[in-house]
Amino acid sequence: MINLENISFDHCIKCTVCTIYCPVARVNPIYPGPKQSGPDTERLRIKNPDLLDESLKYCSNCKRCEIACPSDVRIADIIQTAKWKYSPKRFKIRDFLLSHTDLMGTLSTSAAPVVNRITGLSLTKSAMEAFLNISSKRRFPAYEPGTFRRWYGRMKSEQEAFSEKVIYYHGCYVNYNDHELGKTVVRTLNKLGVGVTLIPEKCCGVPLIANADLPGARKNARYNIQSIETAVEKTHCSVVSTSSSCTFALKHEYPGLLEIDNSAVFNKIHYITAYLSRLFAQGPVPELQPVNLTAAYHAPCHLERMGGVIHTLDLLSNIPGLKIVLMHSECCGISGTYGFKKECYDIAQDVGEELFKRIADAAPDIVITDCETCKWQIEMSTPFRTVHPIMILAQSLGVYTF
Amino acid sequence: MKFDCIVVGGGVAGLTCALKCAEEGLRTAVVSSGMNALHFSSGSIDVLGFGGDKKIVYDPFDDLHEFIKEHPGHPYSKCGGVESIENAIRFFREKIRENGPDLFYNGRRNHFSVTALGTLKPTYLSQKSVFNEKLKEVFSRKPKIALLTFEGFRDFYPALAAANHKRTPMIRDCELVTGSVALPESVTTRKNPHEFRSIDICRLFDSERGIETIAGRIRDAAAGAEIVGIPAILGILHYDRIHHRLEELTGALIYEIPTLPPSILGMRLDNALKEKYAELGGLLIAGDEVAGGEFEGGRLASIRTRNYGSEEIKADCFVLATGSYFSRGITSKFDDMKETVFNFQLEYELPRNKWRRSGFFDPKSHPFLEYGVKTNDLLNPFTQSGTCVENVFCAGAILAHYNPVREGSGSGVAISAAVAAASRIASHCRRG
Repeated sequence: MINLENISFDHCIKCTVCTIYCPVARVNPIYPGPKQSGPDTERLRIKNPDLLDESLKYCSNCKRCEIACPSDVRIADIIQTAKWKYSPKRFKIRDFLLSHTDLMGTLSTSAAPVVNRITGLSLTKSAMEAFLNISSKRRFPAYEPGTFRRWYGRMKSEQEAFSEKVIYYHGCYVNYNDHELGKTVVRTLNKLGVGVTLIPEKCCGVPLIANADLPGARKNARYNIQSIETAVEKTHCSVVSTSSSCTFALKHEYPGLLEIDNSAVFNKIHYITAYLSRLFAQGPVPELQPVNLTAAYHAPCHLERMGGVIHTLDLLSNIPGLKIVLMHSECCGISGTYGFKKECYDIAQDVGEELFKRIADAAPDIVITDCETCKWQIEMSTPFRTVHPIMILAQSLGVYTF
Repeated sequence: MKFDCIVVGGGVAGLTCALKCAEEGLRTAVVSSGMNALHFSSGSIDVLGFGGDKKIVYDPFDDLHEFIKEHPGHPYSKCGGVESIENAIRFFREKIRENGPDLFYNGRRNHFSVTALGTLKPTYLSQKSVFNEKLKEVFSRKPKIALLTFEGFRDFYPALAAANHKRTPMIRDCELVTGSVALPESVTTRKNPHEFRSIDICRLFDSERGIETIAGRIRDAAAGAEIVGIPAILGILHYDRIHHRLEELTGALIYEIPTLPPSILGMRLDNALKEKYAELGGLLIAGDEVAGGEFEGGRLASIRTRNYGSEEIKADCFVLATGSYFSRGITSKFDDMKETVFNFQLEYELPRNKWRRSGFFDPKSHPFLEYGVKTNDLLNPFTQSGTCVENVFCAGAILAHYNPVREGSGSGVAISAAVAAASRIASHCRRG
């Protein structure tokens, strides 16, 4: 029997518009594009899973096909589901390591300097490429010693004194790789009169989805939504996140792809710039110091998918002296764990080439982007320092100095 | 979030209107769901191609005076007069030229562009790779014409186009040859031949690899023809340079013929509009869908979207440019139809057997094409209870009382109504 629950592929009119806007199809002639990998072959796969095409692995789940589709087909969701549902369930150590960001983070932060040194060695890189199919050309993100949560533990009582509070879903990146961003978020919100609360959380599931572990992603999603629901019910606080992809998962991938109901808290979860731009709109706008920089702004794919770009631009527009050069809507190529894989590295760099060129043309003092993996990609592929928009705001508020 | 103007719909009408609003200094956002119908269009801009009884219109702006008198409910009669329509089309041409192709126009007169089937169609603006002064001059000498395609491309058939060319008085007496050109193997590595579409060949041209080889093969296949028609695939980025280079290398005049979707010609216009709009500081919320609006005292105060959930987006004025059935601006059900976003009043008929005529190609065309949102003379729509919503303006295919197919007026109406709406919004916002 064919399951008729998700037949959004049936709305596909074969117009090929998705394939035009697919960054991977643009540079990789072996990938037939989202139309064929998604709705076209889904018709065949539901009849006979043997018709699975291995080229599905080239889809980076950037979601640009869904933004482009005039017929509202959930093309990327169809592809991610098919990757998991129809492919042989072989354990791949590489995909396991890449997708379990919280486990890797916990292990690595305990010996961060050693881990960073080892992953930076060319011998390690060659070994990882030979045995794990992780590209030796990719620069690995550095781990920090200890966790952001541990730092927060020392701040807890101070934070609880604020009458207005928000829950911060920090995600794996802030917890293991970039404590500075997390600390800056706390200081920024404090400066605006808002205290920060943490709640129990697991990895949002984005890397698990990308590596075809939907059951694993679902487990994390259930955990996170339950944790958020409990906290929101008790405190009525909003939940903010500084990762565009985490926010996208919490709000949109959970109900859309993972079929986890988040409707009770959907309107409480905000990407940080959405929360802050609303705070600013309610007024009074705090006193902001000039930040005299020319910044190239790159909008991450998942932020575009959820319409969050205008919040970031709106927030940044408050900062005096800051000159934003908007980069053409384009994928940077890395797509989370995608650009780490040996078979995808060159594709990722080809996809990003146009963006790197445009950034170089803009000759900025700094690059701003909302996504941690876009940051890795841009910092590895261009000579420019890349920061989260909150870092710029913090500078303007006087709670952070470059 | 609060804007001066929110445009719902990101097609020709929506983008042109938003561009004009942004240029007037208004804080503007466009909410669009999916890419627009330019991706399915000829990439030429029609103002008025056919009068009554399918008579060809040669001077659209002259004929519009009479046309407006005869069609008082037509969108053209709500755009502030023929001069405003002419200005709107000029505005569009000038803005497109800044970031996109230079558009050919034949003074105030229409010219003819070739369709994917090889028939000719009157139109007002065409890209210069489609029609230009040189082509116009050589065509008048009845030259030898070659119609060529690329091997493996399934969306253009030279023999079919040639057969239709032969039925056209203007081309009938020309010598016609047809053929197909193989693309260099080194640059065509598509695994699946069924996925070889206009965009794939277009990307090959944009990479500018193997142009000399391709040009050589075009020259051979053209067998001495003075003019060579090829499917419109000469790039989205470097089309001007590639077009000139091909003409230089082949020694022939080359014209692009619109293909089946995706339309590369249409995408060039889409890119040009979006880039100009972004340059002016306009914001685009793509891949979202408006889920409804909040009305206060007969005005639309805010909208909600699928992605933003309960977050309201407020504006002084709104534009409804969601398109017709194809773009889902109007939803038709078995026994009724509805304006999708705000449920504004539609002008249409019931029961459904009145929606169409029995012949598919009936010369009077089909009534359903003229159904759309009911508006007053200022393009303001009406709620179901009959209230005129004065801060909402409608533009493009969502409008009632015109038949873009029969009249050859689709893009002209979209642009004229968009610019008229933007001017009204600008003065509305200035009044405060």
